[in-house]
Amino acid sequence: MISDDDLLLYYYRDGLDAAERARIGTALAEQPALAQRLHRLVAQLDTAAEMPEVPVPPHVQQRWQAALDRAAQTNGKSAGLAKRANVRSLTILRWPLAAAAVLILAVLVSERTSQLSTPEQTAEVAPPAGSAYERGLRWHLASTEQRLASLDSAQPEERVRLIETIIEQNRMYALAADRANEPQLARVLRAFTPILQSLTDERRDASASDIAQLSFELRVMQARLKAETDTKPPAQHIAL
Amino acid sequence: MLTALKPANRPDNFHALLSGRGVRWYNACLRITRDADLAADAVQEALLKAWDRREEFRGDSELDTWIHRIALNAAIDLMRRRRPQAQDELDPDRLVAAPAASPHGEYVQQALGKHLIAAMQRLTAMERQTFVLKHVEGWRLEEIAESLQTNANNIKQALFRAVRKLRVDLHVWRGES
Repeated sequence: MISDDDLLLYYYRDGLDAAERARIGTALAEQPALAQRLHRLVAQLDTAAEMPEVPVPPHVQQRWQAALDRAAQTNGKSAGLAKRANVRSLTILRWPLAAAAVLILAVLVSERTSQLSTPEQTAEVAPPAGSAYERGLRWHLASTEQRLASLDSAQPEERVRLIETIIEQNRMYALAADRANEPQLARVLRAFTPILQSLTDERRDASASDIAQLSFELRVMQARLKAETDTKPPAQHIAL
Repeated sequence: MLTALKPANRPDNFHALLSGRGVRWYNACLRITRDADLAADAVQEALLKAWDRREEFRGDSELDTWIHRIALNAAIDLMRRRRPQAQDELDPDRLVAAPAASPHGEYVQQALGKHLIAAMQRLTAMERQTFVLKHVEGWRLEEIAESLQTNANNIKQALFRAVRKLRVDLHVWRGES
């Protein structure tokens, strides 16, 4: 008598010695009923294994992409830093990193705006899409500052949602910077992501001063960006 | 500079692979963990490990296979370290697949999905993981034993128990004698 357990192991070609496999193989060839039993068993298990496929939630997909981006930024030297569980270890480096990122961004923006201010260069350097993108960037920084200001009073779930929104918008502007052939600016924008993510991982009181500091840095960036113009277009004008 | 790298080494190729295969990795991990957060963490861990070792891959298919396997191992590891209450958190209503084309197909699919999820829920973590790794993923008994930190005989017994439980549930659900 061949048990269902042995039939299954035979089907898996695993867990039986050669003699057992040969014995079951012979029996299956000689007994159609046994072969049918194996077929039925496998069909049942296939049905049991047919779990409906669940789509990946968008925020999870974004988190994976952000983690990969961070790993790519560090050039594979310390990809582990990008893991959510290890984001807390970046706390010490956060503000030096933020300050460096802000400084680089400010220099980049300053360079761009000074180029735009020269009439004969404007036509060459700043096509319409570029200026729309630049306005969009200003809007992004302003709205980020507003969202950061509201974090302190937000409930935990709302707080996480707001930070995720900021991170997602930051990602979009980094992509826009890539498309605008501004890799440096894209890198700087992406450098903010782990800092923002760390805000979701920390206790509220511990991150309050960080939020204030980040808001300050954003205001500095906006001041630089407004060097040429004070206008701030609404969100719908942004071309990404 | 990036163009000089092998395809699997480029971040955009990782992103492309993630878009195409992410759902498969995620669902494989979900079958192991039954916890959406742990499944997402497992895939992320595998992605980052793959990125660290990107020089070793010869193409997308190799990378896909590798990430899939590492994600499953990460899922098992996370399950081992998980908080106790995480087990069997999944709500069958949340896990039923997208509706089929016809109303009847939708009904059957929904019913099937719920019953199968419920049947899987009645397995212990070890039984479920063993069944999934063996029947769905095709791992060797020895590989499963190594991953679950036990011996092949225990894995065999866990597999047999899982199969019996699932068959009983399927008989009941289908009204078979």
